Amino acid sequence: MKRVAKPVFFIVALLILFLTFTATFGLKGKNGDNSTTYIKGVSDIRWGIDINGGVEATFSPATTTKATKEQIDSAKAIIELRLTSGNITDYELYTDYNNDRIIVRFPWKNGEKTFDPESAIQELSATSLLTFREGGDYTTTTTGSDGQPVYKTPKGTTATNIILQGSDIKNAKSQMTQDQTTGTSGYEVALELSDSGTTKFATATANLQGKVISIWMDDVRISAPTVDAVISDGKCVITGNFTATEASSLANKINAGALPFKLTTTNFSTVSPTLGKTSLYAMGVAGSIAFALICLFMLFVFRVPGIVAIIALLGQIALSFAAVSGYFPFVPSFTMTLPGIAGIILSIGMGVDANIITASRIKEELWAGKTLDGAIQKGDDNSFWAIFDGNITVIIVALILMGVFGPTNILSMIFGASTTGSIYSFGYTLLIGIIGNFVFGVTCTRLMTKSISGYKFARSKWLYGGAKE
Amino acid sequence: MKVFNIHFFENRKKFFAISLGIMAIGLIFNIIYGTKLDISFTGGAVIKYSYTGTVQQNDVEKIVEDATKKEASVAILENVKSADGSASLNNVSISFAGTNSISLENQQAIAKSLSAKYPSAKFQVVESSSVNPSMGQSFFMKCIAAVIIAFILLIIYIAIRFQKIGGTAAGAMAIIALLHDVAMVYFTFIIFRFSLDANFIAVVLTILGYSLNDTIIIYDRIRENRRLLGPKTPYSVLVNTSINQTFTRSLYTAGCTFSSIACVFIVAAVYGLSSVTTFALPMMVGIMTGCYSSVCIAGPLYVMWENHKAAQRAAEAGSKK
Repeated sequence: MKRVAKPVFFIVALLILFLTFTATFGLKGKNGDNSTTYIKGVSDIRWGIDINGGVEATFSPATTTKATKEQIDSAKAIIELRLTSGNITDYELYTDYNNDRIIVRFPWKNGEKTFDPESAIQELSATSLLTFREGGDYTTTTTGSDGQPVYKTPKGTTATNIILQGSDIKNAKSQMTQDQTTGTSGYEVALELSDSGTTKFATATANLQGKVISIWMDDVRISAPTVDAVISDGKCVITGNFTATEASSLANKINAGALPFKLTTTNFSTVSPTLGKTSLYAMGVAGSIAFALICLFMLFVFRVPGIVAIIALLGQIALSFAAVSGYFPFVPSFTMTLPGIAGIILSIGMGVDANIITASRIKEELWAGKTLDGAIQKGDDNSFWAIFDGNITVIIVALILMGVFGPTNILSMIFGASTTGSIYSFGYTLLIGIIGNFVFGVTCTRLMTKSISGYKFARSKWLYGGAKE
Repeated sequence: MKVFNIHFFENRKKFFAISLGIMAIGLIFNIIYGTKLDISFTGGAVIKYSYTGTVQQNDVEKIVEDATKKEASVAILENVKSADGSASLNNVSISFAGTNSISLENQQAIAKSLSAKYPSAKFQVVESSSVNPSMGQSFFMKCIAAVIIAFILLIIYIAIRFQKIGGTAAGAMAIIALLHDVAMVYFTFIIFRFSLDANFIAVVLTILGYSLNDTIIIYDRIRENRRLLGPKTPYSVLVNTSINQTFTRSLYTAGCTFSSIACVFIVAAVYGLSSVTTFALPMMVGIMTGCYSSVCIAGPLYVMWENHKAAQRAAEAGSKK
């Protein structure tokens, strides 16, 4: 047998313990009042609405005619604006152009005392009120969830003097321009006004030349351009070093003010934060008991390979945590739901399969009269393909689960964007469990078993399931 | 070392009887109670409130029907545990007849009338869900498509994989074992009167993968033993030996997986988390039958098939003489 150097056992075990510790608790530094997260731990996991409490709703236009893609985009832009200005983070927003649906899902804010899901949904889908106002004065400023300042509630003349309303706007679109002198290209928003709007705007721009006319959506200021010239033909542009996204976002918002339909809520579901907390706590308890049971079982039945299996299992669980928390910079964090946690617990049970297959084979070889080294070698060789085969089938299933319940994929192109995302993370944790099983249950286990069997104290065959010597 | 020596093939009739018996019971339940699809598939609405004190089921039902002008049924669940512990709450769950979703305004009206009738009960929405029928149906179609795709992929995998281990016959038996497991999971939902929802799809798919894994490991051993024992060994001996050799592993793995998901079930049941228990219980059943079908159904069936073919060949050879 190719011997593995003795210290390898301790090196692998320490590495796994390090991974487990950091993946569980994360690494955080304190610099005065600011704590910086270097490595994300379990407390940084983004929980889904079934754990954090939250709202999921599907909005559709209240018309029988089909909405255009631009109209749906505008409606989406408004919902997005309301979410960010309401400082709601972690929201998910999908559109389904074929079926005229906008699906929004967001967790309940931390520390929110009153739980009023009905109003929260209504506020998001309320008919938007677009206004053009004199000046750009605001009462309060807060920071939105996208990090940008949010200017709220017009004040003074800005509050009283409304120049245009949503119905005065015919169309807004973003377009590319080229600076005449420098030749650099940029983006701007072109507005087209209705007849009534044209008259009103001509008067206002004549009075307010050089001053600000601000644009408001509901209670939030979305733009505050300065009037450069009198606009009498009902066509104007808003410039201001926009990027392509900024320009189209502003155009979408302005269009939403002139949407010909109201949004109705066709689907909604809500979960209270208390229920979610209870669920999370319960799953934590269940996971710990399951882990303890399996450790005891492996230890009593397989002895030394059992200890190895426990260390490998720790590594596998740590990998699952790491894969959802955003521990590795290249794996984005993942919204974790109850079925996702069930997936981790299930893979604790399935995860020892690789160890069980290998350890059983070693035991068989020992009873067949092989030497310890020979038995370990033979056990490893004989069991690899069985483990590999078994895992392939579960990988196929996990991928399909992710496909069906995931946000966007081939199936959702046929059947529309999905409303139920909680099973998605079950597929994901199942998949990670299998990958972890290969890394830890196969590779690390083999390294550790071979290296520990080099120690004198660990050379008794009994320790590997053989007969007492 | 303890080696099992169970006569799986000789006891096949018992195993088939057990499986068919359970399916028959499931079928009877199915005929009596029908198949309940969850509102996430059909459309419809349910709301669950928590409250303190006592409320009358009839009163709540009447309030809800007055507020929404819709037929509703009310179930009261008392002493639900929560994580912050001390006081356990009571829950009332309202489900509406039909497959139409209810509007936000309806839901607000219900909350308002309930608080008016029971000012001190502190009604709070625990969870609510209202699904539009057409969206439910398209979600249902998507789930069915997923199960079909999974089945096709697994059959392709079986076809490739079993070329080496027993060929078409073995592959066909593996598929029968899979269908057996799907039926068992389905009947678990029926017998416990859980409505079929996304959890059902998740459990079915997981069990498909899990059970096939078990079956493949047994057939792998059969192939290995065919080399070791020689071609003269009868199929019944070959298969029995192989199953017994892998039986320890099958038991251990099923036991570990079963006990970890059983922990989830027990804890979730204590805390009254129905969305978790309706997932964990069928999963427990599925893991048992996944292991059982590989050992007690797929193996003996395979022997029967090969014996049947051998008998046919012998008969043909006999008639030619």
